Amino acid sequence: MNAGVAAAALAVVSVATAVIGFYGLRISRTTGDFYVASRTVRPWWNASAIGGEYLSAASFLGVAGLILLSGTDALWFPVGYTAGYLMLLLFVAAPLRRSGAYTIPDFTEARLDSRAVRKVTSLVVVLVGWLYIVPQLHGAALTIRITTGLPSWVGSVAVVVVVCLTVVAGGMRSITFVQAFQYWLKLTALAVPILFILFVLAGTGYSPVAAPAVNPTGQPPASLYSNVSLLVALLFGTLGLPHVLVRFYTNPDGQSARRTTLIVLGLLSVFYLFPTAYGLVGRMFAPELGRSGQPDAMVLLLPRELVGGAAGDLLAALVVAGAFAAFLSTTSGLVVSLAGVVSQDVLGAGVGGFRLAAVVSAVVPLGFALMTDSLALAGSVGLVFAFTASTVCPVLLLGIWWRGLTDAGAIAGMVTGGLLCGGAMIAGSVAGAANTPAWLAQPAAWSVPTAFAVMVLVSRATAGRVPATLSRVMTRLHTPERPLATGR
Amino acid sequence: MSRVRVTAPATAARPAKESREAAQESDVGQVFVRSLIRSQLRLALVVAGGFLVILGAFPLLLAAVPGLAETRIAGIPFGWLLLGVGIYPVIGLSAWLYTRTAARNEARYRDLAGDQ
Repeated sequence: MNAGVAAAALAVVSVATAVIGFYGLRISRTTGDFYVASRTVRPWWNASAIGGEYLSAASFLGVAGLILLSGTDALWFPVGYTAGYLMLLLFVAAPLRRSGAYTIPDFTEARLDSRAVRKVTSLVVVLVGWLYIVPQLHGAALTIRITTGLPSWVGSVAVVVVVCLTVVAGGMRSITFVQAFQYWLKLTALAVPILFILFVLAGTGYSPVAAPAVNPTGQPPASLYSNVSLLVALLFGTLGLPHVLVRFYTNPDGQSARRTTLIVLGLLSVFYLFPTAYGLVGRMFAPELGRSGQPDAMVLLLPRELVGGAAGDLLAALVVAGAFAAFLSTTSGLVVSLAGVVSQDVLGAGVGGFRLAAVVSAVVPLGFALMTDSLALAGSVGLVFAFTASTVCPVLLLGIWWRGLTDAGAIAGMVTGGLLCGGAMIAGSVAGAANTPAWLAQPAAWSVPTAFAVMVLVSRATAGRVPATLSRVMTRLHTPERPLATGR
Repeated sequence: MSRVRVTAPATAARPAKESREAAQESDVGQVFVRSLIRSQLRLALVVAGGFLVILGAFPLLLAAVPGLAETRIAGIPFGWLLLGVGIYPVIGLSAWLYTRTAARNEARYRDLAGDQ
């Protein structure tokens, strides 16, 4: 690809992000109080921002690459990512907003009245965040290498530098506008090229070179166990992601948290039609991209492969811009939420602590990303969902819906789930993808139920530790807010 | 550039919180709260269960009817349309039904608890 065009696309995205960030900052400064501003954030803006933050490298590049490789088996990824939000709506959205908690550790501490639970939850949340940032940086490295020919590390370092600068300079206030902009940028960057490609294919009467069912690499299809376990991870992993929870806080009340989630589901459903279309078109018209060993690059390469010429270059630049929006938005959302946790629990509150925490939250995964190699993006993000589903998900679900949960039970369950799932992830990466049996490669189907079971059994055994504040907290979580005097 | 520490909006939250927590002062208030939580949980489980049944039925349908997955509609195999497009309206419909019914449960609680 023309390296200059790709570099220009990157520069435009970074500058646009910064400009919108500062514009938004000015708005929130004139209103004086961030929370006055946040209550005027309309559900559409807020939902776009949630979509912008949620759609990561895995959704933008990984899903299409995986569909190219695995066909209909890989369609479970976008379905699971979307249905995870349905589970979030059903079980978590409104009670979590009503809890008034800003981070997951805030929630567990308030619900279980225990500092120890807070510490363990913080540790788990930081681990989840770091694990989730690494694939974003891998995606950036891949994009830079494929599109500009520069060394891989340039991409990862560039994302970390831009994110650190914007977070340290602007903090949380302007981020809603940036994230909302990035959702629509990502959607455009996927939709325009694929529609153009389909138009060209229809116009030239270019006939498919392979049937959609044909696997370009000849891999065997995934087993039923793998698909079910993946779905468990995606359905129950979404509701524990730290950057998702922060976004719910900007809803004025529990009702609007539900309405926002409903819109998010619509936005995600529309978005995922496009990676699916890329995967299908790739399978039928350019299966050789699946044999290159870098299926994640398929979305970046397809426009030039099938359109070519100057138009192909421009479309490819648009895709690169969208991909960088994905890396930047997800990484900055994670860094902001991690910095909140790290600064509160480790470095002490205050602006200096927050800034230092933001840099630490971004640099640690950078080191890890530089030392490791890019696996399939959708697959490695899938494992992060499995880890979240085995640790944060049980404590949230049981905390919201079961009066019997105790601090001892919560800690035992999170530690068990974390050790089982983390152990499976480490064993899998040591053994290599080829030598890992399915039950180890997709641990969610057994690690999630085990974490739930341990949490329930230990809570039952320590029933005397149920906090005295229980009925007050449960009332707060589940009863509707009285309409505010300042509201409609 | 100044930074605002992110904490709960105390002035706005207080009236709502007080009125909500007043509900649990009495034993009757707790009965209403418990019944609200039970009905919301039941609703969430029913919607989640219904969705999962439909989700599971899609691949079963494709497996049960030979050739169905490969049948082309506008050049696209039916299996791809079903899993790649057809599931999303089911998700949206479940979410919409849930949101409506959950709001109705809360309205009923408000009436019972005399919160207004």
